[in-house]
Amino acid sequence: MPEIRVTPLGAGQDVGRSCILVSIGGKNVMLDCGMHMGFSDDRRFPDFSYITRNGRLTDFLDCVIISHFHLDHCGALPYFSEMVGYDGPIYMTQPTQAICPILLEDYRKIAVDKKGEANFFTSQMIKDCMKKVVAVHLHQTVQVDDELEIKAYYAGHVLGAAMFQIKVGSESVVYTGDYNMTPDRHLGAAWIDKCRPNLLITESTYATTIRDSKRCRERDFLKKVHETVERGGKVLIPVFALGRAQELCILLETFWERMDLKAPIYFSTGLTEKANHYYKLFIPWTNQKIRKTFVQRNMFEFKHIKAFDRAFADSPGPMVVFATPGMLHAGQSLQIFRKWAGSERNMVIMPGYCVQGTVGHKILSGQRKLEMEGRQVLEVKMQVEYMSFSAHADAKGIMQLVGQAEPENVLLVHGEAKKMEFLKQKIEQEFRVSCYMPANGETVTLSTSPSIPVGISLGLLKREMAQGLLPDAKKPRLLHGTLIMKDSNFRLVSSEQALKELGLAEHQLRFTCRVHLHDTRKEQETALRVYSHLKSVLKDHCVQHLPDGSVTVESILIQAAAHSEDPSTKVLLVSWTYQDEELGSYLTSLLKKGLPQAS
Amino acid sequence: MDPECSRLLPALCAVLVDPRQPVADDTCLEKLLDWFKTVTEAGPSLLLLQENPCLVELLFRVLKAHDPRPRVLSFSLRLAGLFAAQEDCFQYLQVTPSSSVSQQGELLPMLFGESGPLGGAAWTAPTVRSGWLQGLRSLAQHPGALRFLADCGAVDTIFSLQGDSSLFVASAAGQLLVHILALAMRGPAEGHPSPQGCDWPACAQKIVCHVEDSLRSTATLQVTQALNVLTTTFGHCHSPWTQGLWVRLSPLVACLLEKDPIPASHSLVDLLLSVARSPVGSSDCGLWETLAQTLSHLSPTQAGPLALGILKLQDCPQALKTQAFGVLLQPLACVLKAAAQAPGPPGFPEGATGDSITVDTFLSSKSACVGLLCQALAHLELLQLLPQRPSPWPQAPLLRAAVAILRFCHGSAAPTSDVGGHLCAVLAGCVRVQRAALDFLGTLSQGTGSEEGLPGHTQVAPGLPQGPQLLRPGPPHPAVPRRYPWPLQELLPVLRKRLCSPCWEARDSGLEFLTQVTRHWGGQAAFRHALLASEVPELTGQLLRDPESYVRASAVTATGQLSSWGLYATPTGPEHPEVQQESLFTELLHILSTDSEGFPRRAVMHVFTQWLKDGHADVAEDLEQFVARVLQAASQDLDWEVRAQGLELALVFLEQLLGQPGSRCPYAVALPEAAPPATLAQVLQALCRVQLFEFALRALFDCDRPVAQKSCDLLLFLKAKATPCGGPQEAGASPDVVSVEAALQRWQAGEQGQPLGELEPEAVMAVLRSMDLEGLRGMLAKSSDHMEKSPQSLLQDMLATVGVLGENEADCY
Repeated sequence: MPEIRVTPLGAGQDVGRSCILVSIGGKNVMLDCGMHMGFSDDRRFPDFSYITRNGRLTDFLDCVIISHFHLDHCGALPYFSEMVGYDGPIYMTQPTQAICPILLEDYRKIAVDKKGEANFFTSQMIKDCMKKVVAVHLHQTVQVDDELEIKAYYAGHVLGAAMFQIKVGSESVVYTGDYNMTPDRHLGAAWIDKCRPNLLITESTYATTIRDSKRCRERDFLKKVHETVERGGKVLIPVFALGRAQELCILLETFWERMDLKAPIYFSTGLTEKANHYYKLFIPWTNQKIRKTFVQRNMFEFKHIKAFDRAFADSPGPMVVFATPGMLHAGQSLQIFRKWAGSERNMVIMPGYCVQGTVGHKILSGQRKLEMEGRQVLEVKMQVEYMSFSAHADAKGIMQLVGQAEPENVLLVHGEAKKMEFLKQKIEQEFRVSCYMPANGETVTLSTSPSIPVGISLGLLKREMAQGLLPDAKKPRLLHGTLIMKDSNFRLVSSEQALKELGLAEHQLRFTCRVHLHDTRKEQETALRVYSHLKSVLKDHCVQHLPDGSVTVESILIQAAAHSEDPSTKVLLVSWTYQDEELGSYLTSLLKKGLPQAS
Repeated sequence: MDPECSRLLPALCAVLVDPRQPVADDTCLEKLLDWFKTVTEAGPSLLLLQENPCLVELLFRVLKAHDPRPRVLSFSLRLAGLFAAQEDCFQYLQVTPSSSVSQQGELLPMLFGESGPLGGAAWTAPTVRSGWLQGLRSLAQHPGALRFLADCGAVDTIFSLQGDSSLFVASAAGQLLVHILALAMRGPAEGHPSPQGCDWPACAQKIVCHVEDSLRSTATLQVTQALNVLTTTFGHCHSPWTQGLWVRLSPLVACLLEKDPIPASHSLVDLLLSVARSPVGSSDCGLWETLAQTLSHLSPTQAGPLALGILKLQDCPQALKTQAFGVLLQPLACVLKAAAQAPGPPGFPEGATGDSITVDTFLSSKSACVGLLCQALAHLELLQLLPQRPSPWPQAPLLRAAVAILRFCHGSAAPTSDVGGHLCAVLAGCVRVQRAALDFLGTLSQGTGSEEGLPGHTQVAPGLPQGPQLLRPGPPHPAVPRRYPWPLQELLPVLRKRLCSPCWEARDSGLEFLTQVTRHWGGQAAFRHALLASEVPELTGQLLRDPESYVRASAVTATGQLSSWGLYATPTGPEHPEVQQESLFTELLHILSTDSEGFPRRAVMHVFTQWLKDGHADVAEDLEQFVARVLQAASQDLDWEVRAQGLELALVFLEQLLGQPGSRCPYAVALPEAAPPATLAQVLQALCRVQLFEFALRALFDCDRPVAQKSCDLLLFLKAKATPCGGPQEAGASPDVVSVEAALQRWQAGEQGQPLGELEPEAVMAVLRSMDLEGLRGMLAKSSDHMEKSPQSLLQDMLATVGVLGENEADCY
């Protein structure tokens, strides 16, 4: 029985680093190759030793697919391709291909800067890895090899994020990556057609949450920024160079314009220029509103947002600064934070998750006295705010997507076990499909029913049509014929044609039965009595008395013979073909009851 | 343990056992265990437990919890294992009364025995099973642990966990068995126990019997598990008892070869190679026979890795090596046979004639054919680089085979046989095979350098322009022979085409290729002549303005390399040929100051540093001006790596002025004595003129640690060089250091905007002498990571998270 096997190496009941192995139709595919930013040793990467055991990696793995550019989905890619030794194809969308190396480079610089780490990939490795990438377009079917094909669907979430359908023969799996079912300021909502995959692997970050309107969160954010700036304070927004940063830029830009605000907004790094460049370049990937207004005004050409110079941090007066990195653990954002932390008038807004150990994590958990280098203690008096702008589908969105794709099975990844459990039950109840939630390292095996294409001969079809039955794809129906398997092809033909093609003679198989009758008359007379009896009982059938004395009813042949030992008993030899099995049995039972007495 | 941590620990333990408190971050418990591991390795665990009774309390309370959280339970199991690794602590935990009267009992049996999590609902969570195994792995360090394992029936559970649904758990179970076996054999049985196992410790005997049963099993999974356990055993344990183990088990292993198909062939290959590499291998003649038998029984694809493994072995009979080499060559022999115009042997050593089994694999399916060819090429490529590769090495037929494969790939082969026709159909346009063949060809060309290789190159060259991937990403394709110039008239047009490609990958690889080629052949007249006659240098110059930053960076490196060999003439504008174009230096400096991307700016700094080291003509013209302009541009860069490279260049400059740090580095090569070192005063004046001091002192307080570290190293070097001769000056008029110190304080406070102005060398030196640069270097080496990674910070973070975890917990990246 063919089967689909799924083993998460990461994202199985956690939100750390996505890396899911799928075996389908004898092909092995890796979905995402993410990094866990919470670790600074080898544990940040998925444990690939479980697949390197199978010999040469490139022989074992048919392809790697990356859903989007976030590091928890692509961060281990240069490590995997340049250090572990995978040399096969890597698929991702064009925007992901363009933006992914920027983020990898960004993270590499921070990792090397702050941690002075060994066993981390280099710039050259990032570049060499990106050269192995094959870019895919939305809704384009890409043939990885003769049997394996993949297709990308729009996922929202971040620029270039995609869901992927993986198909081998008639079996298919859809992997959602991270997705968002509601459009936001610059991206549209995820969409997939009714592809009815055998398995849908979906993220479940907000498995139990129904999120409030994003508008409320945005209003709240703008209000906080505005209040701080109005009272002459400075606002620091630590961000990663891409994704959320662009969304917040659009938000502030429009607000500044509407309110005619004068306080400067700065972006601290040159990286953003490139990021904005890509957002301009990949305008077709943004939402309808941005696409429509693009001709009059490109949303990503910001009037109010300017490049930041290190000296500006000391300037008096209010300002808003976007600075990298997003977790306040190194570089520019940390430097500015140190300068501004001492004043109650200032504010830091953390728009994303921070891993343990970072200054971002500490201040979000309420710590206000931070020990910095050289035993210095930094007292944080500035306001600390957390604003979630994360663009994941909530429980309602996940259910919506399952409804759209109509999968046979669902598998949850990228979420917490407890919340997954709840969603699993909900999916199983509502859609009547099996739902799985494997932990990392656990394998889920699904049996699939193979669908095998069979060609039908024209003769057979014509015969069917002659009976007034036109073929209809939606109404499956029974068809009798002979199945010929030749050169790995299956054909259904009429038995006559089969005989002809195979050069075989027809053999007939007959069932026989002996019925003993008490009758002292001669055999011919007995046969005649049988004939008369059957003629009277089987009015709808053709009953014949042949010149040789035998009786036929359709294909059933009845002959009377004398009993070798008992002359008062006659033996009726009944024989019939397979086609008349029912009638034959009926006749035998009828004859066994005896013949009516002659009147 | 740090007193502050000791103070925080009870509160943390209380949080961990409180089911209402979510555990902060899934990495926190891991980091906590890391810390406990260092603590227990550094000192007595028993003392630790006695001083921190909350730890034992934690273990008890987790055990007694009605519905323990799997992560915390797993953590507790692993923690208990860490403590119990020390025998006295193990005994303490065996019968430990908890401080709370209601909680008493034998802690370890409760944790690891059948009454513990083993029978509970939590056991369904793989993390708990994994924690149980890891806990036992840490605990199993002493004879007491062995008795404990036997008493609580743990070994049977481990057997069953070998077939766990979680890869991680199953693998950990196998490894734990090996560990226990080695521990059991470490004691009285050390030496040469009998193969029959009558004198083996009971625990070891039990494990070996289980392995034997598994090897006899008809279920492939069980056979695989047994083979994996043995592979790890022979890989890690090299004590004499492993010989007895092999004697006992080898007949069972040999039996596997008689089955059709051979079960778990991949694991079997791993085991045989593991045994062959261990001391057991050298003493067992039967092993070579088994290996030979396995080679002939396995399918070509399965036999490949075994053949390569055999050829890598140090001591192995020649006949076996020949057989193994034959296996590796089979696919290529088939290709040669299929491509042959005239019948005849492919020219490989005996045994590699293109047998029917390999042909069958080729014909079975496209993926099988492609897979086998790629595997064979990759294996031969690896082999070629090894010192123990077979000799004589069939260079010529291998070259012919690689060329034949390439011809099949781009459809220029004219097959005469059925197999040839099939290969044509399967390999046409197959990039994967093409790549593998080129990689192989590249390695071959680096090989022996014997003359027989040469004709092959000229044959391959025409194939080069056809494929899309031919100049591989990354380092230039090694298909460029190092010892023999490529036919340039064919190569340069290909290169030119690639430099004009619309794909950035092709342009970039082309430039990387050019850089490498120039580095090797820049001095050869034929190459210089051909290159200068081609358009390649001009095109390279144009790529300095490529829209893709990776390409601009590679163009910078390539022009820098060309210029070093005098092969880069500044392009004259086609529109205004009369206008004198700016020099390459000015152009690169412009890129350094204005390019919006870090890669090209970093590449420029690399080129400039190299130029300075090599004494490039543009640099030598006015050394001080060169350094001053570069440092000025680098100091203002937003990219810390550019600033760090600026300091690198500054260091090279310093070394050239002051001489290498000879006294510190006995291996350093002294600079040529042509230009005698200037006097220190002159040097310091020069450093002031190029504003090196301002750059370095500013960098000392850079927000990016590596820059500050580099600057610290540079200033320490300068200080060391200057101090011996600095005495008289110090004794003289005291320089005005106030302004320098004031500026330093401002920079330290993060005010980078303030310029330093004119500097007096003496003032700078006085400031340097007064600064604690060594102390600063020590502090920078620790970095703020020292704070982030400290256990105290971890405990504080975990405690601080209590109650504030809300929406942000799942809000990932």
